[in-house]
Amino acid sequence: MEVKILTQHYDKPEYKSLDGYKKYDGYNQLKKALTLKPDEITEMVKQAGLRGRGGAGFPAGVKWSFLPKNNKTRYLICNADEGEPGTFKDREMMDKAPHQLIEGMIISAFAIGSPKSYIYIRGEYFESKKIVEQAIKEAYENNLLGDNILKSGFSHHMDIYSGAGAYICGEETGLISSLEGKKGQPKLKPPFPAVEGYLANPTIVNNVETLASVTVIIRDGVDGYRKHGTEKSPGTKLFSVSGNVVKPGNYEVPLGYPLKDIIFNLCGGLKEGRKLKAVIPGGSSAPVLNAEEAMSVNMDYEDLASKGSMLGSGAIIVIDDSNSMVELLKVLMNFYHHESCGQCTPCREGTGWLLKLSNSILSGSANLNDVALLEKVASHMKGKTICALSDAAAFPVLSFVSKFKEEFTSYATSNVALKFQATNVQSYKRG
Amino acid sequence: MSGKNEDLISCSVNGKTISVPKNTSAIKAFKIAEQDIAHYCYHPGLSVAGCCRLCMIEIEGNPRTQIACNTMVTEGMKINNQSKQIKEDVQWGLDFHLLNHPLDCPICDQAGECGLQDQYMKFGQYKPDMNQKKVKKAKVVSLGEKIVLDSERCILCSRCVRFTDEVSKTHELGIFNRGDKSEVGTFNGKELNNDYALNTVDICPVGALTSKDFRFKQRVWYLKKAEAICTGCSTGCSIYLDYNEEGFFRVRPKPNEDNNSYWMCDEGRDLYQHLNKEKRLVKVYPSKKVSTSNFAVSSSSSSSSSSSSSSSKKAIKYLKSELENIKDSTKIGVLVTGQYSVEDYKEFFSVLKEKNSINQIYHWFDQKNSKNDFDDLLIRGDKNPNTKGLLEVAKDMSLKVIDSSELKNTASNLEILIVLGPEYKKFFSTIDEKLEYFKQALQVFYFSSVKLDSLDSISNVTQIPLQSLVERGGTYINYKGLKQKLSILPQVIPKILSFSQIAKVLNGEKIQLEPLFLKTQPVKDNQFSFQKN
Amino acid sequence: MKVNRNIKTYFLLSTFSGMKFTFFKMLKNLFNKKKMITLNYPEEKYKYSSRFKGTHVLTVKKDGSLRCTACMLCATNCPAQCIKITADEHKDSSVEKYPISYEIDILRCVYCGFCEEACPVDAIRMGPEWQTPDKNGSKFNYDIRYLAYRPQLKGGVESSLDDKERHSWGI
Repeated sequence: MEVKILTQHYDKPEYKSLDGYKKYDGYNQLKKALTLKPDEITEMVKQAGLRGRGGAGFPAGVKWSFLPKNNKTRYLICNADEGEPGTFKDREMMDKAPHQLIEGMIISAFAIGSPKSYIYIRGEYFESKKIVEQAIKEAYENNLLGDNILKSGFSHHMDIYSGAGAYICGEETGLISSLEGKKGQPKLKPPFPAVEGYLANPTIVNNVETLASVTVIIRDGVDGYRKHGTEKSPGTKLFSVSGNVVKPGNYEVPLGYPLKDIIFNLCGGLKEGRKLKAVIPGGSSAPVLNAEEAMSVNMDYEDLASKGSMLGSGAIIVIDDSNSMVELLKVLMNFYHHESCGQCTPCREGTGWLLKLSNSILSGSANLNDVALLEKVASHMKGKTICALSDAAAFPVLSFVSKFKEEFTSYATSNVALKFQATNVQSYKRG
Repeated sequence: MSGKNEDLISCSVNGKTISVPKNTSAIKAFKIAEQDIAHYCYHPGLSVAGCCRLCMIEIEGNPRTQIACNTMVTEGMKINNQSKQIKEDVQWGLDFHLLNHPLDCPICDQAGECGLQDQYMKFGQYKPDMNQKKVKKAKVVSLGEKIVLDSERCILCSRCVRFTDEVSKTHELGIFNRGDKSEVGTFNGKELNNDYALNTVDICPVGALTSKDFRFKQRVWYLKKAEAICTGCSTGCSIYLDYNEEGFFRVRPKPNEDNNSYWMCDEGRDLYQHLNKEKRLVKVYPSKKVSTSNFAVSSSSSSSSSSSSSSSKKAIKYLKSELENIKDSTKIGVLVTGQYSVEDYKEFFSVLKEKNSINQIYHWFDQKNSKNDFDDLLIRGDKNPNTKGLLEVAKDMSLKVIDSSELKNTASNLEILIVLGPEYKKFFSTIDEKLEYFKQALQVFYFSSVKLDSLDSISNVTQIPLQSLVERGGTYINYKGLKQKLSILPQVIPKILSFSQIAKVLNGEKIQLEPLFLKTQPVKDNQFSFQKN
Repeated sequence: MKVNRNIKTYFLLSTFSGMKFTFFKMLKNLFNKKKMITLNYPEEKYKYSSRFKGTHVLTVKKDGSLRCTACMLCATNCPAQCIKITADEHKDSSVEKYPISYEIDILRCVYCGFCEEACPVDAIRMGPEWQTPDKNGSKFNYDIRYLAYRPQLKGGVESSLDDKERHSWGI
């Protein structure tokens, strides 16, 4: 069953507006938080074990405590550049409950002592941008933002900044570069953004869902939050399910929920007569799970890691047997090739190489060496670059080729490839 | 970097224990420990970009490999790059670099001093797996008056971009597009024409940026490099002069932490032209007055340069006799630029002082530039490399230094004006003004290594050729008192007198003229023999 | 033993045996002219194989221009140092570099073929010609006109790999 905590009131259209939001206990958490000490909030978030929902799963409270004790202005940035293929949870959160995000951001900003925050929103989300802009305006009008918020003495300003559609700007340092007006390229770490981020000031970058979850922690307290989820991955999470399921969409379930139940109970399973072939559990960068693994895995950070994959942004892409994995890999490689920023050599050249290889495998002009080469190239791109894009391109290749080797080799030995296409793929009517 | 012990930390590089100053990056520690490490984007004079991903190292206790350029050495750190894993990573890193590299080494000017060639020979895997088509990009793009860009050869190390951002602060360059379509280029309407632009050619590890001036002139393996200093201004940058039997071909900055760090200005790169035959004063041009006298006949009868030594010897002997005739030392003027070495000044002045009791010199300083002009990087307003040395020598010899503008009043009284002329007429905007003074003096003896055409029309000037600065050698003192010694290089024009020889002739001593032909180089070895595995 | 030795040292005998050999060879050649080994040089000339390392040929592209890119590897590799190239920038940016002069001092050349081996673009080959006499010493400094376009070559030898093809293949 779904556990609706964040998404509790998403079905109510008035929740979008400030009045509607206030009707359902809105901004009470802010009032409560402003009576606490900033360190107490950070401690609460740490205790609650809230892990970053953007992809890496780094504990948010720990990240906040990395901020150096100096006089520099601290910035809070909300990462709403939701670019991971298959992910669409942030969009729904912003569209349906912008004030939830804003409240969470003000509380977080209060906790880290930041006078200024930015929402870096994906360029394509212009509708969401309008909604969030309107919400910020409302918040300013009601003294929820600006100087001396609710007469607490805490001042906070918020701005929204639209990206230009680059996937890499969802990476926190890439986002900061873009926000600074530079080319959206990740920066070298160290120094980490918490020490030297936006304009060389300490900066905290958190995902929309992470920041919104802060309101839940304040409302329910540490124990209330930890009631859901597992010991190491507490809380609930939104999963964006897409692909060959009957009812795709966003589903909020506690972490540790079996993937099998998400697919077959919540999403209504696969189409008639089709078999589950594979599942990408955490956005396109996550290694793929084959049907067997997918049926047994629980959706939390640890269990997925033990299966060699990752939770990532929680984008579950369900693949049934009407799809060719080679074709799918080509589509993914096309994406990563297009989105590589071109800074680090292994990624810049490697993504292009992977695309060319998967193209030639798909077209049947490749041989078995090329399949091996695909793996070799990917394994040498892994963990070699500034940001994780090169890993994100390499993981699918490695998992696709190792878990669906027969399919790749059948393409590489051309006749069988044609046979595969004829029997498996084209027998289905697409769509 | 202070030498205090508490600032030093010890670490181990490939098992070799060294002590390095605090805040040293691991790649510097490798250099200090003299261990090989592959790298492109790292340059000691620029910020760390960390994008070539070649300087991979293993740190003991850290499961992930790191890049050396962005890792700071800590006390007791054990780093190495000898493991099989790292070597394979570097091999693949190089393969990634070469993936879309056109390999047009035969046409590329960088071949022979190319980072890709050198490092592939050292670290590469020699069995490329690439079997796909390469990405095509723009070739032979002119980036301005000085530089040509070849985007295909570019490995996007971003050194040039960082140079224009951090050193020259002109921000002309940027990297455009994404992924493997990335290209270095200039921003709209801008050209890479700043005063330091050619440094980008030096720091480019491949042949993506090439200098229009040097392009296709020579293959670099034909060139020998000699250390020298630039005499284009009072900064006195350390440079390499590249030359061979055919002459001098280019000037590159030599890293010198005390003075010019890794850079030099573009003006100074013209230095080599002044050393080559084409711009040199190769023989004596006697004045109309002395052309009938004894020495001039021989020089005019044989205009070949081989006789220039004997004719300039004669010319100096003539100068000596003329000087002896003048009893009043105020009738003798000595006009000096700050372009000669300390030794030259000493030898020349001591003879004049001894023989003719000269007690004052005119200092020719280009008034167009203020002495204290400085562009906050390297270029200084004082276009003489040795103004400080000249003033010091004059002080030591208790010679009075008078500004050359005084000649306006005194020139007409002078019977002999000896000029140690400028070698860089480009920087001497007031030459024409000086020529007016020359006309007023009775006789002018003009010493220089560089031909000044406008002197030919003045009837009372005798031009005597000198060895060029790298043929003379000597010590130069720059603006901040840094003494730099120039080593002596082979002569481009044979049988031209040096300053010490001139001084000897003036002193009445006999000189032995060694026929100093340009030293022929030993037969070069085949430089393409390398050991495969 | 002694007698035997004397006979051997008696040269007249070996002279006659040598003349006998010559005489029979002459007779053989007289009656069988076709199998004669020697040639009536210079009226008759021996035709060497096409791989013979003779006078150099600079190959040309399909459009007839020089294939040479002036990389100077031949000049560098030449043990006799008899090749002199002057490079310049080509108007066509896909060619980029080309020789404006290419001279071989053939009297210094040792016909080792290293230039042919060093060439990365099949621009220089050792041709089949070996008999290139001339009356004047200065005529042995072969320039582009001789090396690439001498009449014997009938418009030039085309190189096996063209630039345009290379570019279109993406290599």
